[in-house]
Amino acid sequence: MGLFFAILGAVCAALFSGIGSAIGVGRAGQAAAGVTTDQPDLFGRVLVLQLLPGTQGIYGLLIGFITLSQIGIMGGNAVELSTAKGLMYFAACLPMALVGLISAIQQANAAVSSINMVSKSPDQFGKSMIFPAMVETYAILALLISILAIFGLASVAA
Amino acid sequence: MAKVAMKHVFICALKKDRKAILETLQLHGTVQVVPGDVKPGDYFHTEDRTSASLGFRQYSKKASDALGAVLREAPENKGMLESLLAGKDEMPAEQFQELIGRRDEIMAMVSQILDLDREKAECEAEIPKIQARRIALDPWKELDVPLNFQGTRTTNFFAGTFPARVDVKAVSESLKEPVQIRILSSTQQQTCVTVICEKKNSEAVMGQLRAAGFSKAPDSVDIPAAEMKKLDAQEEAERARIAEIRKQIAAFADKKTELKFAVDYYHVRADKYDVISGLAQSGKTFLLEGWMAAQNAPALEKELTQKFDCVLELRDPKETEDPPVRLHNKGSFFGAVEPVVESYSLPGKNDFDPSKLVALFYYVLFGLMLSDAAYGIIMTVASAVALKKMKNPPEGTKKFFQMFFYCGISTIFWGFMQGSFFGDAVNVIATTFFNRPDIALNPIWFAPLDNPIRMMGFCFGVGLLHLFVGLGAKLYNCIRTKDVKGAIFDVVFWYMLVGGVVVILLTASMVTVMLGLSQPLPASLRTPSEIIAAIGAVGIILTGGRESRNWFKRILKGLYSLYGITSWLSDILSYSRLLALGLATGVIASVFNKMGSMLGGGVLGAIVFIVVFVVGHTLNILINALGAYVHTNRLQYVEFFGKFYEGGGKKFTPFSDETKYFTIKEDV
Repeated sequence: MGLFFAILGAVCAALFSGIGSAIGVGRAGQAAAGVTTDQPDLFGRVLVLQLLPGTQGIYGLLIGFITLSQIGIMGGNAVELSTAKGLMYFAACLPMALVGLISAIQQANAAVSSINMVSKSPDQFGKSMIFPAMVETYAILALLISILAIFGLASVAA
Repeated sequence: MAKVAMKHVFICALKKDRKAILETLQLHGTVQVVPGDVKPGDYFHTEDRTSASLGFRQYSKKASDALGAVLREAPENKGMLESLLAGKDEMPAEQFQELIGRRDEIMAMVSQILDLDREKAECEAEIPKIQARRIALDPWKELDVPLNFQGTRTTNFFAGTFPARVDVKAVSESLKEPVQIRILSSTQQQTCVTVICEKKNSEAVMGQLRAAGFSKAPDSVDIPAAEMKKLDAQEEAERARIAEIRKQIAAFADKKTELKFAVDYYHVRADKYDVISGLAQSGKTFLLEGWMAAQNAPALEKELTQKFDCVLELRDPKETEDPPVRLHNKGSFFGAVEPVVESYSLPGKNDFDPSKLVALFYYVLFGLMLSDAAYGIIMTVASAVALKKMKNPPEGTKKFFQMFFYCGISTIFWGFMQGSFFGDAVNVIATTFFNRPDIALNPIWFAPLDNPIRMMGFCFGVGLLHLFVGLGAKLYNCIRTKDVKGAIFDVVFWYMLVGGVVVILLTASMVTVMLGLSQPLPASLRTPSEIIAAIGAVGIILTGGRESRNWFKRILKGLYSLYGITSWLSDILSYSRLLALGLATGVIASVFNKMGSMLGGGVLGAIVFIVVFVVGHTLNILINALGAYVHTNRLQYVEFFGKFYEGGGKKFTPFSDETKYFTIKEDV
């Protein structure tokens, strides 16, 4: 049962962050495509902005991966986990799963506005990049807590 | 730290030299023309040449459209990379002069191309109309009279349609009057019929038919089949014409140079006329005011006064003036980050150029975030190749690649420090294919994955240093502007408070264990640092609100500024992204390595490994380099600049040949 909860945690991290990023990148992509119709030379810049909400999915993947390798699923020799420890892994994955989902979507909103900004004043690209990056801070903090918790769990008795 | 020193320049010259002087200024591109102090009044007036400038802009636009039309038919086949790296071509001055001589001829050619292009567009618009008409006629192709045939002397004839759901047979049987209804064709939407009835009954018949859903067919003067044949021929002719026009336009492919020249030439001329419109002029003279870099001033003064009868006055900016800003740092190491500073905001009147400080930390922070030696090597080599391959690149592009060149070097350094080369690729390859799990690239320092907490402590340390340097920059600025109060109250007190608190924390063994340091600072440091921090805190409370006269308000405001210590906390915590992004690069790289090695050794395993390796690491380097770039900028803009930098400077934009395709090579 412990193993189940641990895998559930890993899957949630990848799942929710992935959903968030997919929504986010899609939303920003629509805005980017609209801008590129009229101003094809801005393609490179709006592409960068479109990609910004995509990192949460990668962080989620990362958390999922380190959880799976910690519990031995990736290496092919899964260890027996107590239910309590499995739940601990699940809890450790939660920050990334939830913050990843919501921050990606919110970051996309900021990215869409930044894309509009770049379409009106292309030379303000540097500033426009910062607004979505502000949102990403919280995804990074969640990533950090999840990582630290999962690594810390390695030394907790099963 | 160099903002280029600016001089105000004032030129008074004869009107007959106006064209030559403006062309000289434009060629050198060293003076930014600004509206002058001399107000147009009785003596001076301005000459409105905007209509001339608009005309030239239109020419330039036309030439650009013509060039677009030619490029559509005869594209320049450059690779994506090549067109990315392509800069402006150089054009020798004599060729430029020769082309100026032929400008009318070139503009005639432009009109010719545009006419052809317009005709092509008309033909293209015609085709769908023809096709629509043909589709409308298609159900009637069996009919052997025109659709608007009225009937004979005693009968009336109608062609029309029923909706498909109507049972036509039943309708015709329900009619009392004698009619003949013939079904020509039926589709899922409609049934096409012809109706013949006696003339005297026609109204009654039509009424009933309409009630059943009958509606009239489109008109045609010809028999439908014949008209369709004509339409086919017409479409054929339009297509042939389009092909012909395209061939004619493509024949202009060897005139691209002329077209590009026209785009540039008229654009530059329009700029010149815009400047003329802003000049104060009298009957025989004109005045020009502007800004220029001090270092360029003597050469220009010499050239103008020798060539023309004119007066040129140079002076330093006045207190009240806000001269435009240009950054200049010697060497690409510092110069490369100028665009980073510029895209935040150029230094304002009271700022100094922070490029050097930004550069030092930029490379370190970037390297820490990407932190993979192999990725660093790829970036460094790619940037070096790009820099070498580019001819006449725009300044911004060049600096962009220079910046990534240095970022790459820093990434290599941190990669080896942390033992990451395509993640753990060395170990994975050795284990999977050579059965030597003992081989691995050992970190020179330590691998963050083994001890993330220690790495986090290090990142906070880097952050604290970065922030303290930012505060130091503020100190420097206060001293530079002789603001002693600001230096002590806003900088020194904060140094005392934050520095003191950090030392207090580091004497506690709980904190040092948490940060993975070997041992806490000696406890004897505790009391002095407590005192220092306390002095800092009291100082901030007393002086943080020093602009208020009322002591009560002042203390309240001081307490509020002490509350700013929380922003120091969040600023320092923000540097944990260095750890998070560094881990992300390494772990994702390992994921791909592991995925690639899942099939084990052998030939098949090697092939799969190579494919996964190439695709996976390409993806990883792109995503993480983007992340590192964005978050390095953020740390610089928000945390670092927040400590001292105001910005708001205006960019120095000299009056120059702003061309798109060519740079004119001067005769020496």
